[in-house]
Amino acid sequence: MRARSEPAWKPKKDLTVLNRDIPRVDGPEKVTGAAKYTHDIRLPRMVYARFWIHPYPRLNLTKVDVAPALKVKGVVYVKALKEAGEDVRYQGADAAIAVVAAETPEAAEDGLRAMIIEAEELYPPMVTAEQALDESSPKIGRGGKNVNVREERGDEEAANIALDTVDVLIEESYSLPVQHHVCLETHGSVVDYRGGDEATVYTSIQNVSGTNASAARALELDADKVNVITHHMGGGFGSKFGIGIEGSTACRIAKELGRPVHLMLTRGDEFLMGGNRSGSQQTIVGGASKDGRLVALVAKADRFGGTGGGAFAGLPYIYKVENSFFESRSIYTATDSSRAMRAPGHPQASFGMESMVDELAFAVGIDPLTFRKQNLEDPVYHRQLDRVAKEIGWDAHPNKTEPGAVDGTRQVGIGFAISQWGSRSRPGSQCEVRIEPDGRITSTTGTQDLGTGSRTYVAAIVAEEFGLEVGDVTARIGESAFPTSAGSGGSVTTGCSAPAIKDAAHNAREAFEARIAPMLDAEPGQLVWRGGEVISAQDPQKSLTWKQACAALGSEPLSAMGEWQEHLRSQGVHGAQAAKVEVDTVTGELKVLKMVFIQDCGLVLNRLAARSQVNGGQIQALSYGLLEARVHDPDLGLMLTDNLDDYKIAGVQEIPEMISIMDDDDDRLAVMGMAEANCIPGHGAIANALFNACGLRLRDLPLTADKIIMGLSDRS
Amino acid sequence: MKAFELQNPVTLAEAARLLPTKEGDESARLLAGGQDLLTELKHHLVEPDRIVNLKHVPGLDAIEWGADGGLTIGALVTLQDLAEDERVRRELPILAEAAESVGSPQIRAMGTVGGNLNQRPRCWYYRNEHAVCLKKGGTECFAYEGRNKYNAILGGGPSYIVHPSDLAPALVALGAQLMLASPDGQRQVAAEDFFTLPSEGNVLRETVLAPNEILARIVVPPPASGMKSTYLKFQERSSYDFALSAVAVCIWMDGKKVKEVRMVLGAVAPKPWRVKRAEALLAGRELDADALKAVGEEALRGAEPLAENGYKVPLTKGLIVRALQKLS
Repeated sequence: MRARSEPAWKPKKDLTVLNRDIPRVDGPEKVTGAAKYTHDIRLPRMVYARFWIHPYPRLNLTKVDVAPALKVKGVVYVKALKEAGEDVRYQGADAAIAVVAAETPEAAEDGLRAMIIEAEELYPPMVTAEQALDESSPKIGRGGKNVNVREERGDEEAANIALDTVDVLIEESYSLPVQHHVCLETHGSVVDYRGGDEATVYTSIQNVSGTNASAARALELDADKVNVITHHMGGGFGSKFGIGIEGSTACRIAKELGRPVHLMLTRGDEFLMGGNRSGSQQTIVGGASKDGRLVALVAKADRFGGTGGGAFAGLPYIYKVENSFFESRSIYTATDSSRAMRAPGHPQASFGMESMVDELAFAVGIDPLTFRKQNLEDPVYHRQLDRVAKEIGWDAHPNKTEPGAVDGTRQVGIGFAISQWGSRSRPGSQCEVRIEPDGRITSTTGTQDLGTGSRTYVAAIVAEEFGLEVGDVTARIGESAFPTSAGSGGSVTTGCSAPAIKDAAHNAREAFEARIAPMLDAEPGQLVWRGGEVISAQDPQKSLTWKQACAALGSEPLSAMGEWQEHLRSQGVHGAQAAKVEVDTVTGELKVLKMVFIQDCGLVLNRLAARSQVNGGQIQALSYGLLEARVHDPDLGLMLTDNLDDYKIAGVQEIPEMISIMDDDDDRLAVMGMAEANCIPGHGAIANALFNACGLRLRDLPLTADKIIMGLSDRS
Repeated sequence: MKAFELQNPVTLAEAARLLPTKEGDESARLLAGGQDLLTELKHHLVEPDRIVNLKHVPGLDAIEWGADGGLTIGALVTLQDLAEDERVRRELPILAEAAESVGSPQIRAMGTVGGNLNQRPRCWYYRNEHAVCLKKGGTECFAYEGRNKYNAILGGGPSYIVHPSDLAPALVALGAQLMLASPDGQRQVAAEDFFTLPSEGNVLRETVLAPNEILARIVVPPPASGMKSTYLKFQERSSYDFALSAVAVCIWMDGKKVKEVRMVLGAVAPKPWRVKRAEALLAGRELDADALKAVGEEALRGAEPLAENGYKVPLTKGLIVRALQKLS
């Protein structure tokens, strides 16, 4: 038996499929509406379920009468999730008082409104940091406290002593509001259980392989009898790792009724209980020498993660500072818990750090690009910053060390920021490649495509291996019954699944070569797979078409498994951002004209999909920077922005010219995820560009017109 | 939403007869494009037993020019049709610009001129079913001491909503007349008198429209020759949004000097806010820097910002400058 050779990615110059622009294999399905998302699943005798969510955060329930809902035509199921006398502790899943299921969504809504639910509202609602920090307020957070110190780093005394020696010292506060994930597809599941001991659970989830066990528990079935399916998904961004109360409730209703149940959160419920990115308030004291060295930094950051702890990446963020101290606290409020969200904690830390760096640069009179490079050790950032500066037109830009004036004209500004992401991956993912005698080939793994395009490389890696076209391979993903793959969090999807796919393709090729090499008078390992043919390396006259080779398999398909191989993946993403804006110094209108982002991510499997991810990350940051903010009334406790009219996200008119660059100077021939670094620095770069344009420094996101106009009034 | 009976009258009189006669009777609502009504129904802000659909009444979807150059716009004309009308764009750009600034293409394709003028406020509290505010029969305007970034700086009290219509300031500036049909016939009301302040009329409504009246047509009189006009709207989000502030201006110049100007502010008050003293101040003057500054000061005189909407004062002044610069 020949020793198995190690799979290896081909050098970039030899690739015929990968590292090119590959249109999504499911693109036509998606744009024609043929792709079925969880929301779209319709099953015989299916019922629609809805929660009754109380909008006020803190309650003592005095009456929970769900029976009237059963009198509503079409309602088939009601259940109280809480009883009179029980408390509601926070706005979110804990405020789900009851659930109803009905023949139609409309009947379910009517059923909810028929219920009689009364409660004493506890004051204050505890929806703001001020309320949480007020000493007289009730203690509602973890460990019976409203404030928890989460992290301390560095020597505060030494950093303060160093601050005394600096030439320029700046002390400022920076804040960011709570941001929502705004997945186009809300959270939820469709549970297909019709009696017996098996079930299929369609669910919008980032962790298909890891979900059948929890779904089975809720269904009181064995895990091997439950198949979880996420063939298509409308986004997750970190908010969809478990089936949640919405999934487990759907399972229980299905079990009780013996009928399929459709329970997707309404948009309003999604805002109330679907998770969020924690807000942040940071006080940073930074000091620099007049030659532009970051000498000292003392930073204190509060995280506003509702009932959760929130996330914060730590300060200083990336830049080298000689002496620093960092402390972070969680401030608890009676609002929905923060969840992981695309680069958790990084966009918050980046905004504070990049603003402070920019302020110090202008204060010492060194242009912000040079100042940044002076305080960055990693040469990758130098080349990346230079590249985005070139693309944005920094050389020709007049405002290098002084911002533009508020002079009644429209002023243009440029700003910079950087980012990093680990993109670590781990063992465990598997893939099966199966070649049919008729020439079809499938690549099967339990990974999921959140909308990122991962399905396409599941096929493309195999096509590359056999010299085929992407369309010759069928990618099968998104079922827990498929070979295990990792949950999609922390940019691990590609780093975990692509090596397993490559390994499976490699193993399948070796097994296939062992079968057909004799037909070409060649040795296994001495065959070339190219252009839909397999050719003898020694004698190029001897070849088989792909179909002829497959036919040689006889009546049985050839199947090979692959698993994660550490050497096929790498980690560590750098990113650099530039943004160009225009400000009308009369009306305060801020328009982002152009955004440029570059990142390195090893071997790019699909350049089109990768750029699409970079575009998306930049847009998410732009939207956070310009518009997004969750708003509560502090007295009424109501979330005032629980819809997409009042919670504003960027639309087409907000999108600037976008340049998304893959850093081809990165020579790592290994793969990694790449979807987080690009959503980290955009809002900071835009805020810096605003300052560069007109001298207005805004330290509180979003950069909405009201703040810009008031700031400009103060300056003019 | 609550189930309702859909009624499809085929004449204006029949439609008007289907509407309630008593103030406060909420049993029926009029449907045109449905862009506002549907959201109100879905959020249970209104729960009528009957919806009176105006779409089967013929003749209300026409844009007609009189021999004298006057314009009659049927209440069912869509915002898109108004915005795309070549002659409107040429002769009354203020109106085309206002129509084009509304919502998104989808909303403009469905939304009507009549519906735009009769839409309800966008205040966060009004739109939240759980906040029983003054506008919904409660006792308090929560915006006054609550979150009020989008609320009124002029003409507020006891409610501090702003009127959300983009067409309204433009039509007031144009001196338009509104034709209101009722079971008893028709009456004509100047656009300027159609909208009411909360302190003037019924705080639950924004117009003088009686419960059984229907806005049928809008008549824009022929403008005196030489008119230039514009509607300048400032949106927090360009893609689609309601105004943070807007300025509607019709101006007649005599050389470099202003002969006459009509100026109406939008999204700063519970009704379109005509600034007659600012108009008077400009008459006979050149639009130099001093005049632009003075007119802004005068237009915003008396503004009483709430905690979070003080920006509307400098914003509106800036828009006035930009609008006049554009027309001069």
